[in-house]
Amino acid sequence: MLIFSVFKTLTDQTVSVELKNDLSITGTLKSVDQFLNIRLDNIKVQDEARHPHMMAVKNCFIRGSVVRYVQLPAEHVDTQLLEDATRRETAVQKR
Amino acid sequence: MAGLQPYVDHRVLLILQDGRAIVGVMAGFDQKSNVVLSDTKERVYSMEEGVEEIPLGLYLVKGDQIVLIGELDEAADKAVDLSTIRAEPLPPIRY
Amino acid sequence: MDASSSGIQEPFDLIRLSLSERVFVKLRGDRELTGVLHAYDGHMNLILSDVEETIMIVDQVEGAPEGHATVNVAKRKMEMLFVRGDGVILVSPPSRT
Repeated sequence: MLIFSVFKTLTDQTVSVELKNDLSITGTLKSVDQFLNIRLDNIKVQDEARHPHMMAVKNCFIRGSVVRYVQLPAEHVDTQLLEDATRRETAVQKR
Repeated sequence: MAGLQPYVDHRVLLILQDGRAIVGVMAGFDQKSNVVLSDTKERVYSMEEGVEEIPLGLYLVKGDQIVLIGELDEAADKAVDLSTIRAEPLPPIRY
Repeated sequence: MDASSSGIQEPFDLIRLSLSERVFVKLRGDRELTGVLHAYDGHMNLILSDVEETIMIVDQVEGAPEGHATVNVAKRKMEMLFVRGDGVILVSPPSRT
């Protein structure tokens, strides 16, 4: 739930999603759900010459389970807030 | 929230777990993101020859096989001469 | 220091005590990360900053006897990274030396 909330705060920011098939897609984060499925707008595939498969694709839905990494915009992530929220969430789970 | 509703009746590109790329018009989907496509074609990429399109007709894709669903810009897609595109097929997802 | 006084009763406590510290993460696919840990959850989804990734690429040399593969190492840096938990093999706290 915590990570889901983090992604929600990053809506309309630019992120890079790296998939487990080594495809990297950069785009504007439009929405996420509880499975961390991701919708991106204005997408650009890294190394498009090698991966022309998505040339005519403007926006996409990515299944959460195939994501390896998401590179986040550091200036929009409050690390202190994250650490406090993580401590709070783990305290709740223990109860 | 990151739903598939916006893609209904639109021409989409699906990337599957085994690396296949298929295009079709999304006729419908369900809670498990199973997807029904009409006028479906598989796009087979290779370095030896241009992209081959194999007609598949009406197709149901199981949700757990889907990596990514992208909305095709039909004008941009039609502008691409697939016979000139040379590329390796996308690698399969490796967990 | 026994387990109760160090505040470590279960494995996840070790990760909780590593918050805001540099950790080492081993991943599937011959990948390793080091980065500063800012968030995690029960799936071992992680958010790290100042990340360095190391990928081991094993090339089996043709004709060479088994076990004589050459290992190439690729490194890259990322400022802020979400790591999906299903790829995580281990998280190791910082070495306190």
